[in-house]
Amino acid sequence: MTDAPKRVLLLVGSPKGSGSTSEALGTYLLEQLEGQGVETEVARIVPFLRSEEGRNKLLHSVAGADLLILASPLYADSLPSGVTRLFEIIGAQGKEKPGFSGTGFAAVINCGFPEARQCDTAIAICRCFAKEAGMEWMGGLVLGGGESIGGRPLREAGGVARNARKALDLAAAALAGGRQVPDEAVSLMAKQTVSPWLYTVIGDIGWRLRARKHKAGKRMKDRPYLP
Amino acid sequence: MKTVILNGLKNGNRREPEMSRLLVEEISSLGHSADLLNLEGIRIAPCTGCFGCWVKTPGACVIDDPGRDVARAALHCDLLVFLTPVTYGGYSSELKKAVDRMIPLLSPFFVRIGEEIHHRPRYPKYPPILGVGLLPAPDPEQERIFRTLVGRNAVNYHSPFHEATVIGPGGEETLRRVLRDVIERCGGR
Repeated sequence: MTDAPKRVLLLVGSPKGSGSTSEALGTYLLEQLEGQGVETEVARIVPFLRSEEGRNKLLHSVAGADLLILASPLYADSLPSGVTRLFEIIGAQGKEKPGFSGTGFAAVINCGFPEARQCDTAIAICRCFAKEAGMEWMGGLVLGGGESIGGRPLREAGGVARNARKALDLAAAALAGGRQVPDEAVSLMAKQTVSPWLYTVIGDIGWRLRARKHKAGKRMKDRPYLP
Repeated sequence: MKTVILNGLKNGNRREPEMSRLLVEEISSLGHSADLLNLEGIRIAPCTGCFGCWVKTPGACVIDDPGRDVARAALHCDLLVFLTPVTYGGYSSELKKAVDRMIPLLSPFFVRIGEEIHHRPRYPKYPPILGVGLLPAPDPEQERIFRTLVGRNAVNYHSPFHEATVIGPGGEETLRRVLRDVIERCGGR
């Protein structure tokens, strides 16, 4: 993609609705692109998939964008089923009317494990989708320890989001100029801000507190499917 | 020995139902049982990422639909087969929906496995996983991604071992061979 994009569509893969870390990352990136004069639109994928009308609406937005950015969580080592479904729909449509050449595709994937590299398979799937759909792969960013952002807007997430903000600033500057996400942004985004040991200790405490809130603290180790 | 096949193939493709039938016939011919779950025909809601299965109703999804039954079946077998068209290197959305809903089988608490953090097992035992991906033509990149994904799922789901195979047109004999090998490793004959 050598031309600067005029219209960018952010596809949010999290099924959570508002307050997801994926949306926080994606909207921060969009804000930086808007600052460079790019027109933007946000679409949460899952609600659009529930009806024929919704799917057509989403496909219309996809067709009208010259840069698609997927912001998604990692589910079971790859993309959530809703994102996969959207890829299938776009892929099937592409067979009938090819026409995504000139459209760029970039992805920002986050996971709840400290190691960002656990998202690499999801990025590989995104890259493969872009290639098969005839789009230009503009690069992928992976973030580990997504729970430390916890869906907060990145500007309010403090030091734990410092590297993510810098990485997205760099990515926005490149994408706005029609260039691929630079390696420096990829490295920054993947850099751990909290040690894995501390992350898991805090994480385990967090799960206990959440379960207690729902009066399930003593049942956390239940095995309901034991015969 | 009991095998559960999570079939993420779609009936629209003439070749694909033949592959699921072949799997069932081969397993039966070896004297084992095969439960074929055709996911396209089972109404499973997608995982909403609420983590209610860990903090509200530990071990079971808060959505009371057949997704719970599929997760239970995926636990109580001696071999779990993922059957799917290779979709950009990954699983079909039908299979992915079922796999996403298997998260209640794990504990939310963390454990280190090798160089990575994963979730602890909730149950003492999980089945081996065999991933069978169908591709209409050779595609080394998609095959590599598929094999990696099956391997990663096996780590996350604490499977004792896994195997992944990508089958192209005319690959029925390869599928039979891989299946026989995996069943032998499971202790079946």
